[in-house]
Order: sequence, then structure tokens, then C-alpha cells
Amino acid sequence: MLALPLHDLPTRSASGFLIRYVVPRTGPPQLVGPLDRKALFSNLAFGDVIIGVGHGEPGRFYGDRNQLLLDVSLIPDVRGKVIVLVSCQTARQLGPALINAGAGSYIGFLEDLVWVMDADKASNPWADKFAAPAMMPVVNCINTILDGKATGDAFAVMTTEMLANAAVAEDEIVASCLRFNAKNASLQGNPMARVNARPKVTFPIPPPPLFPHMA
Amino acid sequence: MSKEFEALKDVLRQPATPEAMKEAAHRFREYDRAEAALGKRSRPTLVSLGLGKAYPTQIDFRDIPRELETNPAFYEQMQKIMGEG
Repeated sequence: MLALPLHDLPTRSASGFLIRYVVPRTGPPQLVGPLDRKALFSNLAFGDVIIGVGHGEPGRFYGDRNQLLLDVSLIPDVRGKVIVLVSCQTARQLGPALINAGAGSYIGFLEDLVWVMDADKASNPWADKFAAPAMMPVVNCINTILDGKATGDAFAVMTTEMLANAAVAEDEIVASCLRFNAKNASLQGNPMARVNARPKVTFPIPPPPLFPHMA
Repeated sequence: MSKEFEALKDVLRQPATPEAMKEAAHRFREYDRAEAALGKRSRPTLVSLGLGKAYPTQIDFRDIPRELETNPAFYEQMQKIMGEG
């Protein structure tokens, strides 16, 4: 399952990269934009992976327009699933709760996930060269999981690429954000957990622009 | 590391006093001016995926000095981030 909200700049930026580079490899359900709702999210238990972008707190993860999707006090059936939450601080409480509920593994962040984006790219966020150093390591982590490789390997791909991008970033704030994110990335559960490999599918041309961002 | 960024990091090592926050705002303006002069960015915005924070989760670089000067929570968040730079 993919949960990709689009209601503000950070969700558009992160979801945009996944729409460009991850969505083509996954089957439904893909909860994009307004479809990323509690009613749908809670009732779709099938699949071996949950990949979510959204705002977060230590014990909560939110969908489009900040609808609550996951809460430590009400965890859906996640047994055996590999879970990646591209969000802030969910590794503190929600990650452990998901593992306690039987998830195979979880990747998230202990602190805020921060990056620099170009607000002029809100309609085609996948073309944002300032967000790419932060978001492509996340994309490559997820695609490593979808290749059927171990979650631990995918986690290493993400943190290694973040630090490599920081080393060559021209903008020092971009580099600081990357090091901060790499330091606070968290893998919990079984690092050998994996999902069924998906075909490697890439679209040669980007998707059409997202609907305009209403600030 | 540019001298503007180094100066910003130096200020951010101080606790969030009104004087330090004002100085950090000044240093950020200097840093942003130097970066903008290189012509590399169009509308840089610092974003995060937090919720219910005492600081904005999307802030245009133009507005960062004001936030640094007036919001101790944002100053402290920048301290955390820059501490890794």
C-alpha cells in the first residue's frame, strides 16, 4: 500500500518523488492525494508492504489534510509487513508499536525529517534539484525493498546515499539537513525482513504536473 | 564551508537569547544573500514532515531570519540541524 498526500509543500515534495520513481512499480492500493484517507487506509489490509508519506508525531502518522491514519493506540493488522514511514519522529513510539504488533520491519525517523525544496516545483516536485539529494536516497531505499532485498540493505542504501550527497552538496544547509536525517534514520524489527520482488519498471517520461498547490 | 555559513553556525552554538536570535537572523540573511548571488536557487523553502510544532513546517528562506529572531523553538530546531553541518 502507498499513502501519498499532496496537501502542502513538504507532502507534495516527498510524495512527488515517490509518484515518479516508486508508484510505477507498485500495484493498488495507491492512496494518492485526496484518496489518502483514514476510511480507505484502515480497510486495506492486503499486501506485504506499507509505504507512507505524511506528517508525523512520535505516536501518530497522518494522511492527506492531516487525517490521522495510524496511532499507537489503534494499530491495524500489520503482521509480517515491511513498513516505511517518510515522516517525522514516528520511530520514537509508532515504529516500536508497529513492530510489537507483528510488523516484519519498520524504517522511519527519530527526529524531524527536514530538507530544502524549491517551492516553484510544487507542481512537478520530481524535477526539484534541491529536494533530490534528500528524497532520492528515500526512493532508492524503497526501490531496494521492492527489489526483494533485505530491509537492512535498503536502510544502508538510504543512509549511505544521504551522507554521500551531503559530502558533495553545494548548499551547506542542504548538507546539514542530509546529515541530520541520516543520523536520525531508524530501522526497527528484523533487518532481514523482505517483500516479494516487484518488476523494475521506470517510465521514460515524467507524469503530468500535479494539480496546482493552493498555499 | 563558506564564511557566511561558518558565522551562522557559530552564532547557533549559543543559547536562544534575544541577542543570539537577532544575530542569527542577521547571519542567515548574509548567508542567503551570498547563496542567492550564485544564482543557484529559485524559491528555496525549508520543509519538514512534523505536525503540531511550535515552528512552521514549511518556511521560505526569506522568512527564516524573522523566525530565527522571534521564535526560540525554531532557533533551537536550527541549532539541532546545523549541529550536523
